[in-house]
Amino acid sequence: MTIHPLQEADSTAQSTAYDTLWTGQEEVPVQESTGLERVMLAEDKLYVVLAVVLIIWIGLALLVFRTDRRLDRLERTMDERIAEKDTGA
Amino acid sequence: MRTSPTGSSGNGISDAGAPRSAYRSIRNAVAVWLTAVILAAFLLDIPKINILEHTARNLYFHVPMWFTMMAAFFVSAYHSLRYLQSRDRIRDVRALQAARVGAVFGVLGLVTGVVWARFTWYVGQNIWWNFDPKQTMAAVQLLIYGAYFTLRSSIDEPDKRARIAAVYNLFAAATVPFLLYVLPRQMESLHPGAEGNPAFSEITDPVMRLVFYPAVIGFIGLFWILYTQRVRLAVLNHRADDPLEV
Repeated sequence: MTIHPLQEADSTAQSTAYDTLWTGQEEVPVQESTGLERVMLAEDKLYVVLAVVLIIWIGLALLVFRTDRRLDRLERTMDERIAEKDTGA
Repeated sequence: MRTSPTGSSGNGISDAGAPRSAYRSIRNAVAVWLTAVILAAFLLDIPKINILEHTARNLYFHVPMWFTMMAAFFVSAYHSLRYLQSRDRIRDVRALQAARVGAVFGVLGLVTGVVWARFTWYVGQNIWWNFDPKQTMAAVQLLIYGAYFTLRSSIDEPDKRARIAAVYNLFAAATVPFLLYVLPRQMESLHPGAEGNPAFSEITDPVMRLVFYPAVIGFIGLFWILYTQRVRLAVLNHRADDPLEV
């Protein structure tokens, strides 16, 4: 996988000021792309968007599961309390 | 949601939120709305930009996380302020739950940003965290709110906890514009609006705004649903703990 060169701007594309590697990082040696990188960069980097959407989906699902667990706990408390009332009466 | 007509008496807690039917309508509308946003996010053609390529579509997902987090923290601060005015415990419940759900959106914004940068700007460099000013300040912001939750768990007496937490929460909210807008714009960053970088309004194609603004509205709507669910649950928990109200 090649890196987009800093200077060689594509004149047909709408290039913007921040559309380059961060200049503060120029001295960092460029390594060979790993397997994960090859997957993520396929299809014009569409898989990066997929990863972002999946992270959001999983994060929100975890929140829903946590809320669900609190709901379970409340249900158990109420059931126990009703059972206590029934035996007491 | 409406609770018993007795309302808040003594230590009891009542929830003066939206009626259940309004909640259901908004919930259903948000579900349809966000589905449409996700479809448009992937199906509409966008201008091709070097390096960014398809990852420009992350604008519809990564950026609304932060807008939602800020909206959530604003809601939280509003309820903390109202708590200090009224000492009504429902305000404390609302402030806590808004901050909780807001922090979840903030963490998602941070993680999605890390992944986006790693496979877009730091390709071949294996950099996951580069201390981009906005990224770093966002992490500091989340730590400030993390301290809010820690502070709450360190105080046992409910009224004292609610009062101290509300004051701290107002301080935390006051740091948001500085950490997320003022400071990152003074420094070199990958983010738009930073030194030398054009701001969002100058660089974003109309077709992308067509999806971006609805995405922000949709995710804030999703926040409201998750927040309302947790408030309802917290109110029920409080009523279950209070033997007078069972």
